[in-house]
Amino acid sequence: MALPVMATERAALILQLVPYIVGKGEVTLEQAARDFDVSVEDMRAMVEKLTVLGQPGDSGYWQMDDDLFQIDWDLLDERDVIALTNTVALERAPKLSAREAAALLAGLQLARSVPGIGDTALFDGLLRKLARGAADTPADVIVAPERVDEVRATVSEALRRGVAVSFAYHAPDAAPTRRTVDPVKVHIEGNDWYLQGWCHLREAMRTFHLERVSEVALTDIPIAHGAEPLPRLFEPGEYDPIVQLRFAADAQGLVGDILARADAVTVDGVTTATVRVADAQSVKRLVARRGGVIEVIAPPAARRAAAQWAQAGLEQYP
Amino acid sequence: MPADSDALKRSGGDAQRVRIPPEERLVNLTVALMSTQIGLTKDTVFTAVSGYREAGEDGAGRDALEKMFERDKQSLRELGLRIQTIGDYADPDDLREARYRIPQEEYELPADIVFTAAEIALLNLAGNVWQHSSLSAEARSGLRKIRALGGDVDEQIIGISPRINLHDAAFVPLQRAIEQCKAITFPYLKPGETAPVERRIRPLALIEYEGRWHVYGEDATARAPRTFLLSRIVGPVRMTREKFDASLRDGAGERALAGLEELAARQRALLEVHPGSEAALRLSRRVVVEDAPDQGIRVPFVDVHIFADELASYGPEVRVVDPPRLRDEVIRRLRATLALHSDDEGMS
Repeated sequence: MALPVMATERAALILQLVPYIVGKGEVTLEQAARDFDVSVEDMRAMVEKLTVLGQPGDSGYWQMDDDLFQIDWDLLDERDVIALTNTVALERAPKLSAREAAALLAGLQLARSVPGIGDTALFDGLLRKLARGAADTPADVIVAPERVDEVRATVSEALRRGVAVSFAYHAPDAAPTRRTVDPVKVHIEGNDWYLQGWCHLREAMRTFHLERVSEVALTDIPIAHGAEPLPRLFEPGEYDPIVQLRFAADAQGLVGDILARADAVTVDGVTTATVRVADAQSVKRLVARRGGVIEVIAPPAARRAAAQWAQAGLEQYP
Repeated sequence: MPADSDALKRSGGDAQRVRIPPEERLVNLTVALMSTQIGLTKDTVFTAVSGYREAGEDGAGRDALEKMFERDKQSLRELGLRIQTIGDYADPDDLREARYRIPQEEYELPADIVFTAAEIALLNLAGNVWQHSSLSAEARSGLRKIRALGGDVDEQIIGISPRINLHDAAFVPLQRAIEQCKAITFPYLKPGETAPVERRIRPLALIEYEGRWHVYGEDATARAPRTFLLSRIVGPVRMTREKFDASLRDGAGERALAGLEELAARQRALLEVHPGSEAALRLSRRVVVEDAPDQGIRVPFVDVHIFADELASYGPEVRVVDPPRLRDEVIRRLRATLALHSDDEGMS
């Protein structure tokens, strides 16, 4: 049996803190707290704690100052800056644990599918370094390579070159439109790629699902609106319609990501979720996908649309 | 100064002895074991290392200290620290006089590993893909260690935000079992079956394919490699006592990927899509061009149920011609959807 995870994690942070400070020389409490994902108070406590840690004393009981880590107290107390004045070990960063290496290796595999952000030599070199820097063999965590089609490649290139990209956009249940967009950010969410950028047609920041993009072309128009604030991905607008869905509480996993922003109430094992969606008609696609697991309760038009959608689908199979 | 008062309290009179938190003991133990060439005996650890010393003074017996030491060694191992045991040369199994140490070269990132600015930029991107999932903390912790080597280099690649979705509770215990080479059992519910079946596998790799997580391993019943969807694991993943040979893991990730790709190459649906529809747009990207049918499109798939889910969502935009099993699954979903939404009055 190992110790409680918390204690082990705190020890791991301390083991990382020493080489971090050694590497920086001096670093503000605030910066260190940010880099370690802890509060400033926790960081101060961790730094103060260093001064009671160190080698066993020669006498067995009394540890001398040189046996312990020492910090510059004046710098800490007066300027909230961390600096070490004595170290007793741990100056170089520890090896990566198997899980740390696995997490980074998998992330790299996904990054690798983005056109133009690194060549094979760069990735291969990194993979070798991570493998050598790991204390134990990481579990194979594989991210299958993404298809890099013309749309993804062209959008990535427009982003790199800082020029607008032009394409046909076909949202579901709407007529296709021709768009010219100043690319600002490409989001890759699992298997789906989204482009966020300033749309010349709508004269506003918009999000485009790249699966719905076709006939893509680079333009020579330099980006002009890249600095405007970006909406959060999937953030519904305040005028978006509200739909109500009903499903068995243990089927939550099948409802998907929209549940994260829904108000959900569960009574007797049945969950009712209320959520804003960009298009109330579009939930017909979600409920048909889940075949009888999710029910649209409101609005009535969306409920009817779901029934008609399924019926029209069935009519193809006489 | 706080340090002095603390130190006094700890080493001074026994009236006000402070209990040393386990994380401090762990760090002291690490420092002590790293600072010795010949290794420390347990006796030295128990009397000299802060944390053990105080516990002993507080009346913890030899057994309690031994247990504490075993737990600490296990915790350090989980952090990737290797503790070397130096036994009696005459009798290697006799650990009474054993000495323990952590070799510097085993602990530290090798001195010749340096990361360039371009590599750090890529790693920053890679480290941020996990969002709020359990691997996020691991990735950030790994990044911190790497950044500690490199001074102030902190390049970012802007404009690209890759994310990996990971909602499956089974992921972490599966990863742990792979690391430890332990066989596992889990309840697996296949679509269409009413009750889950307990499976037993030697897990070898985790693989994300088309946005879904799979575990690849050697199935104990079938005695052959199998791939399972994590979303169909409906209960706890339990580790068994069986430890398998680590060499089984060699190249497992590539074998898993090749298996899924081979499956996709073998299973192809013949579909008819309405031009200009969402279905046409999305499916046409995955069409296999060789051996194109006279009518319709041919699209590969790995799992009939998952593909049927997608095709059902397209409603009237797509018609399944072949295979019949896929067509039946799509029809079943559409019928269930219609039944659930048919109101007595509302239907036209």
